[in-house]
Amino acid sequence: MERGSRTMSDSLRSSDKDSGETSAPFGLLVIAWLVPGLGHLLLGRRVRAAVFAGVVVAAFLTGLALSGELAVPRAGNPLSWIATFGCLGNGGLYFIAKLLGFGQGDPTAVGFLYGKTFLYTGGLMNLLCVLDVSDIARGEKD
Amino acid sequence: MDHLLLLLWHALLVSIFFAFLWRTDGPARRGLFLKTFLIMVLGGLALGWLMYPVP
Repeated sequence: MERGSRTMSDSLRSSDKDSGETSAPFGLLVIAWLVPGLGHLLLGRRVRAAVFAGVVVAAFLTGLALSGELAVPRAGNPLSWIATFGCLGNGGLYFIAKLLGFGQGDPTAVGFLYGKTFLYTGGLMNLLCVLDVSDIARGEKD
Repeated sequence: MDHLLLLLWHALLVSIFFAFLWRTDGPARRGLFLKTFLIMVLGGLALGWLMYPVP
């Protein structure tokens, strides 16, 4: 690369040489959370971006198809807060599905519990993606 | 609804995810994928078999 020219992925990476900071850009982490795979894509990790996006979206759609419930916090039910945290991990998918009226959940459906498991799994995997983006942006991982 | 198919699908997604999250080169990814996938599938079947007598 030519001296002085920087790619987008270079500019998104915090560097000790540049600023002395060791934290990842907050906006990048928010983007990585909202759109599964986009954080890795912006950092130039195209294969990982495609795989992570595919896996998270597949888990999320499977969860919805199985009549899983996108959790919301309920007073007097502390576990619902943890469930909400897991579901919110899906980022923008959670909000879009809620806006479109999906994810209400049907406790009488055979796949209800499986659906919730897939929704939590997708959310938690996406949160791990955000941590991965943070590690890459801070230069702690390739 | 096929419970075994859902077990396999879940194990597949999770195994692919962790293979790409924790490994960077091809052979290591394949190794971790196979290990994770087999542990999840065989472990799930073993647990199901062990819990079979439980009402």
